Amino acid sequence: MAGLKEYLIRRLITFIPTIIGVTIIVFLIANVIPADPARAWAGGERARPEVIERIRKMYHLDDPWYIQYIFVMKGILNYFINPNHEGALIDPLTSRYVFDDIFLRFPTTLQLAIFAEVFILSIGIPLGLISALKKDTLLDTFVRIFALIGVSLPIFWIGYIFIWIFFTNLGWTTLAGVPVPKCYETGTCPITTHIPLFDAIFAGEFDTLMQIIKRFWLPGFTLGLGYAGVLARIVRNSFLDALNSDFIEFAKAKGLPKRWIWKHALKNAMVPIITVIGLQFGGLLGGAYITETVFGLPGVGRYAVQAISNLDMPAVIGATLLFSFLYVTVNLIVDITYSIIDPRVRY
Amino acid sequence: MGSSIASKETYEKKILDRFSDKLVDSITNLIDKVKPGWSERNKSKVDEWKLMFYAFNRSPPGIIGAILIISFILIGLFGPYVAPYSYREFLYIEYPDTYLVPPGSTVTITNKQGDIVKVFNFPLGTDKYGRDLLSLILYGARVSLIVSLIVILLGVPVGILLGLVAGYFGGKVDEVIMRITDIFLAFPALILAIAFASVLPERIRPIIIQSGILKQVFSVFFAADVRDAANFAPILSVILAIILVWWPPYTRIIRGSVLSAKENLYVEAAKALGVSTWKILFKHILPNIISPVLVLITLDIGSVILMEASLSFLGLGAQDPMVDWGKIVYDGAQYFPDRWWLVIFPGLATFLAVLGWNLIGDTLRDVLDPRTRRSIEFKVKRGKAEEK
Repeated sequence: MAGLKEYLIRRLITFIPTIIGVTIIVFLIANVIPADPARAWAGGERARPEVIERIRKMYHLDDPWYIQYIFVMKGILNYFINPNHEGALIDPLTSRYVFDDIFLRFPTTLQLAIFAEVFILSIGIPLGLISALKKDTLLDTFVRIFALIGVSLPIFWIGYIFIWIFFTNLGWTTLAGVPVPKCYETGTCPITTHIPLFDAIFAGEFDTLMQIIKRFWLPGFTLGLGYAGVLARIVRNSFLDALNSDFIEFAKAKGLPKRWIWKHALKNAMVPIITVIGLQFGGLLGGAYITETVFGLPGVGRYAVQAISNLDMPAVIGATLLFSFLYVTVNLIVDITYSIIDPRVRY
Repeated sequence: MGSSIASKETYEKKILDRFSDKLVDSITNLIDKVKPGWSERNKSKVDEWKLMFYAFNRSPPGIIGAILIISFILIGLFGPYVAPYSYREFLYIEYPDTYLVPPGSTVTITNKQGDIVKVFNFPLGTDKYGRDLLSLILYGARVSLIVSLIVILLGVPVGILLGLVAGYFGGKVDEVIMRITDIFLAFPALILAIAFASVLPERIRPIIIQSGILKQVFSVFFAADVRDAANFAPILSVILAIILVWWPPYTRIIRGSVLSAKENLYVEAAKALGVSTWKILFKHILPNIISPVLVLITLDIGSVILMEASLSFLGLGAQDPMVDWGKIVYDGAQYFPDRWWLVIFPGLATFLAVLGWNLIGDTLRDVLDPRTRRSIEFKVKRGKAEEK
């Protein structure tokens, strides 16, 4: 697989300029604001001038934008290079490392994405397969309408409706706090991934696991509904494309049993399906701002939105960088997965 | 098999088909007046249009979608003028009884002697300022309509143009355009839009406040009072922000199609005849690759409405006292579920508008597929032959 190696290297080389481009765009956006961020960070109108002056010096706010940019980038790199985070970028509002704040919230976003993905796969794939096998029937039309309704639903609307049904009336979910396993306090976790869902499973704390499920299933379902419809349509169309291809005709002519034909068709339909699943997961990790806001989940998306309204630019840059990094990485993983399931892919 | 039976049946024209025939005929007549003899020269094109309408008329989701978007456009255009109250009528200030009134209620104001002074009807209830929710939704429709129109009219052509240039010229131009496109595509669209929408108002506001013409133009656009001119800036920023994140997918799709379309013989022929490059791009290549983009545009109008509402829900976009659908939900969410109408009705309006565009887009995909039209064409022709 020499081709794959070269391809990977080429992808990694284009990966870096893309990320740098992303940071420059975010940085330029941040610098468009004519308002004085130093005053806002120091506490608004009543801030003491010497504090403002100190902040201005610390963040190089009086220097040209490229010096500020280099300062911020250095701060971000320092966090990951230096083991004790020496010289890392500090959030002017919380006085903590920006990435400490972000990684504190990332597990919530990740858990939301995982729950949403579970719903997307368990609704989208079966619906897509059924509607392909029952093509042009009432069921197929139903799946089509479901998909269209799913992508049209505003989350800030259906989220509140679900809250009213499942929280206010049925009490099947909780809306406050984010459950963490008890072993975090006692320090007895066998494996620490910092993701409560996994840690609770590894530590065998099933009551915590249930609490996490109770807290996350509804936001995950709300978020996943639209994506599930899209996936169902993609699964249907690519499965039908595969069923109509020549090699399936040949297999039918040879008298292969139906189950085998479906298996062959499915394998070939996998490439577009995997792409969509990957892109969707990248999108989910890229912040579910509305879902997090509606359900009061303290995730990175909500953090980024709040940071933007607080003019807290170091936090905004950190969060956007994380989002685009995840997004690009997921895309890369999807591309690599192609070659594993489809040997015809050439680079 | 089934197909042979199906091909024997003739196509019966229904009311909608006759109506769409008349519509196409009147359009061709109109063009004929400007360019005499146009319909004779383009007869096949006109027939194809009619077939597209037949295909469309046979799809119930498409018709539902058409009804939804026609109502959306009509409400957007005329809603603010037929609204029972203005969005600036804060009845609560004078009449505290109008505070958060539930749907369908009538508030009767009496003076100290017990005489009825005023009667207010609120079919969808009121918000915390005593404003009529029905009126607010009618005003909000205008903002959604204008935002989606401007984004599609400005953002999509930019994307298409860049895609055409990148695909056709290739080389360094292609490399530069596509790397920039990649960078924009590396963001989740919403966070980029949030970032733009939150920093742009400060820049746009002074421009609008200083310009009398802009104030007038946008107050007509948004059906808003000129006194709210400072609040046009956040909505315009949302428009700009959505445009900035909207063009990259179009560039990528168009570039891909151009790459394969420019190898066609008709392009070679046009080049050999000395047709100018821009004419080749716009007259010969673009019409042949535009169909999938048309479907995407229709689906995207729905997404723009949704994104605009989402940005407003996050507190960007319309600011008090101006309203759009996301803003009404944003304000009403704190009273949910007790005062459910403030979330349910504007959300329902958003949902129906977005659904309408998605239904239309999904149907267009079938309609623009030549195979669908051919199957109808045979039936129509057989019908005509039998009549004779």
